Amino acid sequence: MSEPDLTRALEALLFVSPEPLSLVRLCELTEAAPGPVQHALGELGARHDASSGLEIAEVAGGWVLRSQADLGEVCDRLRARPPEERLSPAALETLAVIAYLEPISRPEITRLRGVSAEATVASLLERGMIEEAGRPHDGGAMRYRTTPAFQERFGLRGAGDLPPITEFELSGEEAEAVRRRLREAGHLADDLT
Amino acid sequence: MSVPVRVADPLRLPLELELFEGPLDLLLTLVLREEIELAELPLRELVAATLSGGVAWDPPTTGELVVLLCSLAELKARRLVGDDDEDEYGPDPEAELVRERLAAQLIAFAPFQRAGVWLRTQDGIDGAVRYRRAPLALPERALARHDPRDLADAVARLMAAAPAPSLGHMNRQRVNVGEIVAELRGALKRTGRVSFDQMTSGADRLAEGMTLIACLELARRGEARLAQPVPFGDITVQRHVTGTGA
Repeated sequence: MSEPDLTRALEALLFVSPEPLSLVRLCELTEAAPGPVQHALGELGARHDASSGLEIAEVAGGWVLRSQADLGEVCDRLRARPPEERLSPAALETLAVIAYLEPISRPEITRLRGVSAEATVASLLERGMIEEAGRPHDGGAMRYRTTPAFQERFGLRGAGDLPPITEFELSGEEAEAVRRRLREAGHLADDLT
Repeated sequence: MSVPVRVADPLRLPLELELFEGPLDLLLTLVLREEIELAELPLRELVAATLSGGVAWDPPTTGELVVLLCSLAELKARRLVGDDDEDEYGPDPEAELVRERLAAQLIAFAPFQRAGVWLRTQDGIDGAVRYRRAPLALPERALARHDPRDLADAVARLMAAAPAPSLGHMNRQRVNVGEIVAELRGALKRTGRVSFDQMTSGADRLAEGMTLIACLELARRGEARLAQPVPFGDITVQRHVTGTGA
């Protein structure tokens, strides 16, 4: 297959596929070697630049053809998104815990958050953002991990494609400020925060 | 990947209680932020207004409501009286321990709160990319044509009433001690003596047990005498005629 044909074939495959296609899968489908496929993906990316309504992106372990970010609103007129698809701050925090510590059980999430995570985990399961990852060999609670749908929604290339958690840690000054405000608030804050 | 994230102060975030959400949450948050002067807050009226709403509280929500109101009352008391205790007697070690434990928990969880904020910036819901969702059409082979009569036959087989399940294996064996006693009496009347092993030959454990009970019953009534010369050996049941001729 010539290079232009390979590029066209990849574009067609990404257009019709409802899910990200990995490099291996693209090689299988086009019967081409990884090198030319990667080169053709680059060509395709250049073709779908900011002037195009679509863009090529590597997400959730594969390549996709998706709409440009600034066209999300107009796309939603075609396919209205219900408001319940939005994730609450509590759900996002729980999702962050799972994404960084997966596989992790609900009791472990609860211990870290300090409040029950039952409803949030159930909601994330229902939305397909997380899935069951089995129980430990020695028994214990079901553990959870994020899904490709999560990676797709948040534009991640794969599991673990997250900023290092150390980037989000409180500085010594910030940590001291937390302690100071707890002292100022009195011990009541223990139960309320 | 380094993304500057603007993060809310963990202690300034809105309170999120598991069950109870409402204006009291907001009120308590504002009090903790010192945006409302708690000393001027008429708590009695607040409690009365809350309870007079005609709302039927379930126990968990009522529990949180009580905690909220008590918290407000204690906060107000502290604000009014001041924290002189600690100044007078020094810091309470237990309170310090609890406070430090809470601080450690908040500090440990803060990175995940910030990561949650970062995820929000990455969320593909608002003004972001959209993906193709249409499923691939089924391949031709999955749509192979069938004769409608085959389909009708298949449906008919599915709709046919299933045979009633056999309950034969669930029959419970019933052994009647009265019948065994009568049988034993008859045998003793005819022969005067019977062997327990012969009587229970081929019987299951339940029948054996019931036969033994029948023998004991006859012995108790004085109608028979039991003899077992060898431990675990055969039991001989011999008719015993009393003076009354029972």
